[in-house]
Amino acid sequence: MHRRLVIVGVFGAAGAVALAAGLHFGSQRQADAGGRADSLFAIALPDASGNEQRIDQWRGKVLVVNFWATWCAPCKEEMPEFIKAQQAWGGRGVQFVGIAVDEATKVRAFADEIHLNYPALVGGFGALDLSKTFGNRIMALPFTIIIDRDGRLVHTQLGPLTPALLQSVISKIV
Amino acid sequence: MNHSRPATRTEGLTLTSDRSGAAGLRISGAVFLCLAFSLARAASPADLLEAERAFAFSVRALDARTLEAHFAVAPGYYLYRDKVRFTVEPGALANTPVLPPGEIKHDEFFGRVATYRGKVVVTLPLEQPAPGQEISVIAESQGCADIGVCYPPQRQRIVLPLPRPGAAPGPIVSAVAPKRAWFR
Repeated sequence: MHRRLVIVGVFGAAGAVALAAGLHFGSQRQADAGGRADSLFAIALPDASGNEQRIDQWRGKVLVVNFWATWCAPCKEEMPEFIKAQQAWGGRGVQFVGIAVDEATKVRAFADEIHLNYPALVGGFGALDLSKTFGNRIMALPFTIIIDRDGRLVHTQLGPLTPALLQSVISKIV
Repeated sequence: MNHSRPATRTEGLTLTSDRSGAAGLRISGAVFLCLAFSLARAASPADLLEAERAFAFSVRALDARTLEAHFAVAPGYYLYRDKVRFTVEPGALANTPVLPPGEIKHDEFFGRVATYRGKVVVTLPLEQPAPGQEISVIAESQGCADIGVCYPPQRQRIVLPLPRPGAAPGPIVSAVAPKRAWFR
């Protein structure tokens, strides 16, 4: 009985530590999002037509940068919401930019298919390394970052960004 | 012997429920809720596994011309069957490996796709036996987590020796060392 309680106690403590660690990392993610996105503004990538696009052309706007790929079903599922959001917020200085971890031909085909209304840049697998510098620890997709008009990283999101959360973040900085 | 986290958790619950003391059961319930909550946290993006741990790849040489490849897909993750490929160096496989059928997933964009969860075992027959020689097994794969995150295509390589004639099958060789367990 004594041994049993000791083991139960150890597991209870381990569970509490796991719980605390989970809460800690949840808040840490928000804290990390307070950095700057200067490195992003220093780069240029080709769009799906092969024309080089400098990211700093969108400096001063609220920038939503979405890392995605055609091999990523959850990425494709959320993009229609980004199209709607670009339409709704574009007039107020919000600019969506997609960076595809993919090939130009596939990017162009899918962008045409869904009538993408924001730039689709082609980053290849190197874009995953770029996303890692903004907190994409496991380099999975979709991964989205939101940058305010002053170039501060205000939100990072691994996994789908719900319309409600997107609206909540953008409405505070637009 | 290494114990993974789930195995350790099972051991704890067994120890607390094998007798029916009321206090023990109450504490077991609290522990279970605590662990259940921590598991739920594991399904959040912050706790996602690296690809090589979500889709743990290992190989065993059964004899000098037959390998057995394994994927251990972690709970909450899946691999796409049509993205799984195997090659060996040097040499070649005797034929295209027969992949298990997998389970069908209905995807909005990809339609009906076969996926793997849990354990996947594939036999890899070599074109030429090479007893006592080292061989590299390269696995390509791609998968996702149920919470809506996908990993880029992975390429993992394992180097292992082929058994000499008459020798017992070799040990299972993993692409990634297992994480240290909480308890041993």
